[in-house]
Amino acid sequence: MGKQATEMLKGTLEGIVLAILSGRPAYGYEITTWLRDQGFSDIAEGTVYALLVRLEHRGFVDVEKVPSEKGPPRKVYSLNAQGQEYLEEFWRTWSFLTERLEQLREGGR
Amino acid sequence: MTMSDAEKGGFISKVIGPKRRWRQYKARVRQLPPNYRTAVEAIERYLMHFVPTDDDNAASMFEDLADLFEQAAADGTSIREIVGNDPGEFAEVFVQNYSEGGYVPTRARKRLTDAISRAEEEKPR
Repeated sequence: MGKQATEMLKGTLEGIVLAILSGRPAYGYEITTWLRDQGFSDIAEGTVYALLVRLEHRGFVDVEKVPSEKGPPRKVYSLNAQGQEYLEEFWRTWSFLTERLEQLREGGR
Repeated sequence: MTMSDAEKGGFISKVIGPKRRWRQYKARVRQLPPNYRTAVEAIERYLMHFVPTDDDNAASMFEDLADLFEQAAADGTSIREIVGNDPGEFAEVFVQNYSEGGYVPTRARKRLTDAISRAEEEKPR
């Protein structure tokens, strides 16, 4: 993944993670693995973790500690109503941005 | 519980609480595999630059750091996969979560914001 893609990803990662969580609850490492499988190979687990902590502080996700076979309990994150609302706002913003950029590419106004 | 007991309890938990949490955090870090421990201690030193004034916030920051590395060690995630290509950037994203109202950068930012507002209000010569 190029530097430009990494930069662009940064601004949208919050929305991407919320979108993943809208499908089903997940823990940090699962989300990182999913992103890597999708071709975002540069994404660090710590970045995703820090983002999940932020989403938790902002009240967009609920956290449950689930025991794991090895190691400490995993924090499983799920989207709550407030997060759902924020995700909808993210998609509206995303549509606006892509529409305007597409117009720009076509040289229109 | 009398009024003074309640006050005392609050005071003690304010001073001793974060210290105890800090000692517990350090104990957790000592349990990590040596290379993970080295990495956590390096990140810890870096985070110290963001001089915390809110002990509770700082305590939860280091506890979350320990959570991350304990889980990563259990999953066998490599250190590079945890911190990425730019560890400084990772640490800054990480610290932002705990900077509300306590850390120097937050106060410095407020000072800048206030100074610009004052400048804006000043009459042009």
